[in-house]
Amino acid sequence: MSACAGVFAVSCSREQSKGATTLQRERQLNQFLAGVERRALRFAEIAVRDRDEALDLVQDAMIKLARNYAEQPEDEWTPLFFRILQNGIRDWYRRQMVRNRVMVWFGRGTNADNDYDPVAQAPDPAGRGPDDQAQTDEAMQELESAVGRLPARQREAFMLRTFEGLDVAGTAVAMGCSQGSVKTHYSRAVHSLRDALGEHWQ
Amino acid sequence: MKKPHQDEELARQAKELFDDSVERLDAATLSRLNRSRHEALAEIERSKSVGHWARWVPATGVAAAAVVAVVVWQGVPVEGPLPSAGPVTDFEILIGEDSLEMLEDLEFYSWIEPSDLQTDGNVG
Repeated sequence: MSACAGVFAVSCSREQSKGATTLQRERQLNQFLAGVERRALRFAEIAVRDRDEALDLVQDAMIKLARNYAEQPEDEWTPLFFRILQNGIRDWYRRQMVRNRVMVWFGRGTNADNDYDPVAQAPDPAGRGPDDQAQTDEAMQELESAVGRLPARQREAFMLRTFEGLDVAGTAVAMGCSQGSVKTHYSRAVHSLRDALGEHWQ
Repeated sequence: MKKPHQDEELARQAKELFDDSVERLDAATLSRLNRSRHEALAEIERSKSVGHWARWVPATGVAAAAVVAVVVWQGVPVEGPLPSAGPVTDFEILIGEDSLEMLEDLEFYSWIEPSDLQTDGNVG
């Protein structure tokens, strides 16, 4: 009888400690996602040039990270999260390509996205004047447009290294390629951007 | 020939603009991000409960396969079960010569049964 009680007590304490660990993990994941979600959204938005689509992509990436990688060490979450997001963006491009082909087949053109302006309507938290803000918006639009014209792998390398601040190893994990490839793509991306942005950025 | 510090300067400016655009996200977007995050966290609980049942799926599958294997190995009987000994014995009694005589004297036996009871009663 006492042996049974002992086994039950051990089982209960194990369950409690497991529950506490899960709770702690959830808290850590919440903290991680809260810290990365805004940047991830802008990251996806620059890639797909549509805020709603970007929100969906970020949500999918969050869910997949929580479902499949919550047990992974915390320091692996950033490259894993951006890898998931990156894969989502690639899938989105594939779907767009198929959709555009179908649209062309039925004689309907694709929507031009040159007038896309994701941050123009947002108030400036730094309290800058309209002229300064307009200048910043213009520069950001130029940058987004130039980054958007980069080949996919160069764009990924540039955004992960520059915007997310991932090191070469982390970027390689996020892109699913070698560190050498990351360096090559990044170098070519910077070269292309310098040429595209011209004197405004020198 | 471009100098490396020019590359760094371009990256710095790009990051500054990017950070600025992140800071300027509107409240509605932040709210949607918040909702998405909570849905993702709820997914941990959901996948845990699914995982709890999913753990039993292989065991149940193996057990079901074992049952099927035993049934196949034993072989399904082609004919129905053999008749039990009881009905055969009854039938033999019924077709026996003695039983035919008993059937003929059925009236006698039905008379003797109450008279026995009466005799027992007198004795008792």
